[in-house]
This record gives sequence, structure tokens and C-alpha cells, in this order.
Amino acid sequence: MKRLWRRPVTVEMAHGAGDGEQGARVHFRDGLMKMRSRDGEGALAAFDRALALLPEFADAVMARAEVLDRLGRGEEARSEYERARRIWSALPPGAADRRYLFRQRGYFAFESEAYDLVRSNVRSRILPHLAHGNALLARGRASEALDSYERALKVKPKLPEALALKGEALLALGRYQDALQLFDEVLVVNPKDGETLNSRGIARLALGRIAEANDDWRRQFELLPFSNSAARACVAMRQGHYDAALHEFELARAKAPKNPYWLLYTLTAARLAGAPAESAPVDGGERWPAILLAFHVGQVTKEALLCRADTPARLAEARFQMGVLIAGSNPAAARRHWQDVVDQGPPALIEYAAASNKLARSNA
Amino acid sequence: MFSVILYGRNDSHGYNLHKRAAISFNALAEVMSDADDEILFVDYNTPDDHPTFPEAIHDTLTDKAKKVLRILRVRPDQHVRHRLKTHLVALEAQSRNVALRRSNPRNRWILYTNTDMLLVPRQEGESLSDILGAVPDGFYQVPRFEIPEMLWEAAFDRRDPAGNLAKLRDWAVRFHLNQVVHNYMPMKYDALGDFQAALREDMFAIHGFDESMILGWHCDSNLAARLALYRGRVDTLIDKVFGYHCDHTRVAAANNKGRATRMNDLDHYIWNVATPYVPAQADNWGWPDVEIEEIRLDRDTAYQRFTAGLDKAIDPATEPFVETSVEWQLFQDLTYDLPHTLPFVCDQMVTFPRSTALMLVAARSDFVGGFVKAWHGMGFSGPILVPMECDGLPTELSGVERAPFADLLPKADLFIFEFGLATQTATEPVRIGRPMTAIDKKRLKVIERLFKRAVALEAETRPEGRRLPRRFIGVNVIFNKFWTTFTNYVGANINPFCSQVLAGFPREDESLKGKVLKFRARQAW
Repeated sequence: MKRLWRRPVTVEMAHGAGDGEQGARVHFRDGLMKMRSRDGEGALAAFDRALALLPEFADAVMARAEVLDRLGRGEEARSEYERARRIWSALPPGAADRRYLFRQRGYFAFESEAYDLVRSNVRSRILPHLAHGNALLARGRASEALDSYERALKVKPKLPEALALKGEALLALGRYQDALQLFDEVLVVNPKDGETLNSRGIARLALGRIAEANDDWRRQFELLPFSNSAARACVAMRQGHYDAALHEFELARAKAPKNPYWLLYTLTAARLAGAPAESAPVDGGERWPAILLAFHVGQVTKEALLCRADTPARLAEARFQMGVLIAGSNPAAARRHWQDVVDQGPPALIEYAAASNKLARSNA
Repeated sequence: MFSVILYGRNDSHGYNLHKRAAISFNALAEVMSDADDEILFVDYNTPDDHPTFPEAIHDTLTDKAKKVLRILRVRPDQHVRHRLKTHLVALEAQSRNVALRRSNPRNRWILYTNTDMLLVPRQEGESLSDILGAVPDGFYQVPRFEIPEMLWEAAFDRRDPAGNLAKLRDWAVRFHLNQVVHNYMPMKYDALGDFQAALREDMFAIHGFDESMILGWHCDSNLAARLALYRGRVDTLIDKVFGYHCDHTRVAAANNKGRATRMNDLDHYIWNVATPYVPAQADNWGWPDVEIEEIRLDRDTAYQRFTAGLDKAIDPATEPFVETSVEWQLFQDLTYDLPHTLPFVCDQMVTFPRSTALMLVAARSDFVGGFVKAWHGMGFSGPILVPMECDGLPTELSGVERAPFADLLPKADLFIFEFGLATQTATEPVRIGRPMTAIDKKRLKVIERLFKRAVALEAETRPEGRRLPRRFIGVNVIFNKFWTTFTNYVGANINPFCSQVLAGFPREDESLKGKVLKFRARQAW
């Protein structure tokens, strides 16, 4: 334990201090080290520095809460615990049909530190490497995650679960052909692995093999239990099966009414399936994805929406919705929006698959 | 809001189990406030003739605990397929999954803990239902704090959970009980199995506990590893609730043999876990197709069933006492007092499944009539199988199936052999030297032959799918000529004469005498 926490922080800070999340993570590690050495005030100061760089850094808020609690500052601690939970639960959830790690919400800074420590002690075991990789990949750090998965594969070279995760890292890095090869290997061993079918579908789609991608998602849909309506809905949406998607999203909404995506996708699927529009109360807001919903129901303009679309994925989501809204009145313009999604969006997005299928069918 | 899942067995798992468990059941119930909350206790592999563990300690439980407690009874015959693969008599993963499958689907949370834990909300007046209702989806642990044995044993009142929780709040400060023991991830804290709260939906998604873990230990860590992968984070509820464990190390528990303890492979089940899921058990975890009996302590209890059965069969005594005798010269006298004996007979079976098929071989028609009434009164739904070879018995009793002995033998789950006098009347005095009549001798000869044959053929005539031996109950087999007959073949305890009843399983006697007896018994008909 001491080995990790006593690592020279200054070396790490040289690379990234003061630079957004990376810098915040360095201060976070510094705080953890002080926390474990019972330097409460020092830890609080380090977490404060982390939060100054990244105010929504829930891991630092939670660690800060624990320090305050131990110092007997109960009232302050309680509000910090709650703040951390609020931040985590406000992070947008991933698509329900994807591999488990993409459905997680968080910064996973504590986890990447903790599993790094574990793997330095139990080098020849799988879990610490995979968990470390997952903590990184879930935050989009695919290259580092790939390294972790490869370390796991050095221990067990043919382990299907590790191969699949390596495939996910490659997929995130845009190495679709390499990813596809790994997913093929995994599916030979576990042909009923629904999560890998989903990922292979994404890889195939990214390589332009849309029919085969739909085959994978069709198979995944068949394997998913009826109780998992959220995942079934997302798979149906990818394939452009809007009637099925509408039905499943309605079920998913009944289970998780606060999930903004389920309402957005319900409205989207209804519109694309030609079903009567639902007059659901929309709590439009400035945050993502609330603003998408607000746009969908006409509460904000496309300019305001595009202003908020600050990542390629968000831009793709926005363009997809812009296409959806005008699909009935101006199909050609809608197709142009969807073409933008396919040209510029990440292939793992539901909207990317749905747009691809829309375009393929309109061209057929 | 949440289902607490516990497991155990009616045995002696560690020091003063009964007190620890009562304290814990009551304390867990005390912090429940939602109408859907429940405590699911899987009573795993308690012998059929014993009550479940919570039934055995029911008088020490609060009304609230009894109300929220659902006991799921896994019978020895349901455990038997694992018996050769493990040295343990209670399996954690199987137990917890049986409960998970049958948990209230309206509950969002599953809380895994054990029957020696007390959970103390840090905010007085707040319930665990309130706490779990307010936190976001996740996988939560709390650190476990130890209570020295002296404290819980000497100072806790089993039936005062609120008082016990208040004492803990005080002791925590006075005796410095609250020490957080951190652990390697994914086990956030040491002894994590005493508080793991997961979404019910998540537990179904990852296929519950890994049921290949049948050697004991590390089931909790395996779950933590898999849920940590699935959720990404292991969250804490340390700000909301403290968990206290009634330390019980004076006497090692059955699964604790120090350094010689056999356990599940740590590397395989923790450090080499590579996926949250257990696809090999995806369709059958928690035994979805197995019928599991559910027992409640707030309604339809074993006592209520027992008394309901006897009230149908016997009238209250009209004399202060009745008499019998064990004097030597009365050894051949087979008379006995039926109203006195019937409660002891019923006592032998009230813990068996209600669907039990019972073979009843008897001489006295009033015994059969009375017993059948009691059987139905106790809520049994299984048939009473009476061999055609038994003459002089009532024929038109509801629920009684008459057929040749050989046809009934493979249908029976349990046997009663009654060695009374067919000619004894209800009013005649007992054990005063009454001789047998020719009819009595004839009937008893038949019963003795059927008994010997049933025991000798027991193993090879078990109902399909049954692997464990069937139990034999002998009525009027103490200190008379059938005492030796019965105990030659059945491994029964020494019981007081007053009960008139012996019971046990067929003896496995590999001595020459045992083999001869078995050979002769097979030829008995």
C-alpha cells in the first residue's frame, strides 16, 4: 500500500498538473496519499486543489467527505457525501445494450489508483488488470486501458473475457479490423455472449458491413431476456426497428422514469415509427441530454442545441435529432443530417447505427 | 424497499448462536420501515424432523421480526446432489440465490448480511429503508465493527432491539468500537460479507452468487469482485449506517479449522475473476424450478398446525392422569393409551413437507382413524398409504389410499408402523397384563413382516429422484416385544417409555448379525 501512496507525486504533476481532469487526478492521488497517512488537513487541501480544476470531480468530493467525517466535522461531511452521490447520478448513463463497463457512471479515479496498487502486488492475476483497464476505458482512456488488458492477456493469453475487453479498447481507438478479429475469436468460444455480439456489430458497422452488423444485433436481441427492456430497446433502435424500440422503451421508462434518454428515445422511436406523438411533460434544461429533449419538443432552437454539443458524440446525437424532427417534412434534409452523423459520429453511438440503417433503407 | 438475505441451519454454528441470531433478526427488523421490506432466511439442510432455525428460536423474536421474516426451507433431499462435493452442510451461494430468486420483486435493493449483525443508522430515527430509498443506484458496502463477546452476551436483551441499538451508540464511543478496516479493492473493507447492498436488478443480471463455490469462504469477495466489475465502483454507506458484528471467536465455527480450513480457491474466485457474469448458471441459479417451502412465524405456525391436528383427533382428558407401567411382568402387554400417544406421533412429523406421502401400517383401527384426522388437521396434503395386507382397518377415510404393500412402497416418503392390539378398546385399562388374542397375533405378524421388508428394501424402493433414506416411526415399540424388532432395523435413539414412539433411519449394520437380519427381512413376505 505504502509503495503506491508514497510514489513521488511531483513526477506525475509535471505531466499534467493544472490541466483539467488529468491535473485533478494528480491532486486527487496526492490527497489519497495524505489521507492514508492520516494527514487530514493536507488531504483536504489536495482535494480542494483537484476540485478547483474539476468542480464536478465526484471522487474527490467523496474522499473529502470521508476525511471530514473522520475529523469529526459531521455536518460538512454529510453534505459532501450527498454532493458526490448527486454528481455521480447526474452523469449520463451509457447505452443499455453495450458491455457492462460502458453503462457505468463516474470518474473512476479512485478505482484506477486502487487497482493500480493491487496489480502491483498481485501481478500474475487477471482481475486487477481488467478492473484497472475498465476504469480507464470508461473514462475514454483507451490506450492506457489497452495496456492493462494486454497485461491480463500475458497472464492468460486466450481468456475470452480479456480478449473481448481488449477488443473494446481497440474499438474505442478506431482499430475496427483488429477489434473485429478479437470479437470473432470470443464468439467462437461463447456464441451466446450478447455483449460481444453488440460490440462486433459496432465494429462491422464501422467497417461498412451493415447487414452483418444487423445480424449481430438481431442475435443479441434474441438472447436478451424480456425483463431487460432497456437493452432490448437500444438494440432495436440500432437496427432501426422503431416499433419494437418504442414498445421496449416504454417498458424501460416504466422501470426508470427518471432516465432522460428513455423519454427522448421513446419520443424519437414514436416519431420514426409514425406512432401518435406522446405529450410527455419534458423537464428541459441546459445540461446534456436534457437539452436534446427540449429540442425534440421544440423548447430550444437547433442553434442553442449545437452550442451545447461540445463533443463528437453529442454533435452526432444533436444531428440525429435534427434529422428526426424534419424527417416527415423534408426527407432529403433529414438524410443530410444523418449522413453527418455517419460521417463524423462515433460508430458505437446508437444514433450512428440508427442513422446508418435509415440511410441504407432510403437508398435501397 | 429492500430484502435482507440470510442463511443458516438449525445446528450450533459457533458460540451462543441462538442469542446472536435473535439479537440480529430483531435488530434488522427494527430498522425496516417500508411495507415491502422483508428478511429472507434460507434454512438450509436442517434435518426433516427438526424445525427450522428461526422456528426453534421464535419465542425470542419480536412481533416485528416475525412479521417481516420469510423462511425458505431447503430440505436435505434438495441438498443431497451437492453432498459428495463438499464437506459443508450449509451452502452459502445456493442459499442466497434461492432467496434472491424468491425475493419481493417490488424491492429495489438486496442486502446481504449475516445472523450476527446489527445495523445502526447514524441519524437516530432514520430507518435503513429511508437510507436505501434515498441513495442512487450502486453497489454499497459498510465497514464492519466488532462487539466483544462479553458485551453482546451480557448486556443485550434479545427482545429489545431499540435498546440494543442505543447501547451500541454508547459503547461505540466509550469502548472505541468503530475501527474501519480498509481492504484491497474490490473488497473495499474487511469482512465485507456482512453488508453488501446491491440492486435486485443487478443481482439478476450477474446471475446471483457463483454456485460452484461449495467449499465455503470468499463467496462475499467473489460477489464484490463481480459487482465491482459490473458497476465500476464500490460505494460506501459509512455516512449513513454503522454495522456491528457480534464477535464469536471463543469457539470456532464448524467451517473454521484454523490453518487447516478448506475453502474455495482464493485466486480462482477473486483475483482471476474476469467477468461479472456466471453464464454457466444463467438459467438455473437459485433453483427456479424447485419448489421451496415457505414458512412464516406470524401465521400458520408449526404449533398452530400441531394443535389444530390434535384438536380434531382427540378430546380433552377427563381425568387428572392416566396410568401405565414398565414393570417387567408386563413386557408382553401391548396395550397403550392412544390419546396420550398420538401427540408424540404427530410431533414426529409436523416438520415434514406437507406434501409428504406417508405409509401407515397399523393394527388398531382407532389409531388409524385418529391419526388420519390429525394428519389433515395439521394441513398435510399428501396421501396416507395403507397396505391392503392390513386387515380390520377403516376403508372409507378421506385421503387414504389402499393398495398392495409392494405397490405403495415406492410411493412413500415416510413410514409409521404401529404395533398395538387390534382388539384393544378405547375404555380398557392399559398395561395390566392383558394377553393377545388370536386376531391380535395374526395382525401383528403381518405388521412385523411388512416392517422388516420395508426396512430391508428401503434403499431400492425410494420414490424416483429421492436419494436420502426414508424415516421410520415406530409406535408402541418401547419396552415390549417389538422394541428389539424395531431397533434391530432402525437406528433409533433411546426414548422415554412414556412417549411410546421411536424413530430413525434404516440401520447400516455391516456386522454378520446385521447382514443376517437384513437377509431374513428381505424374505419376510
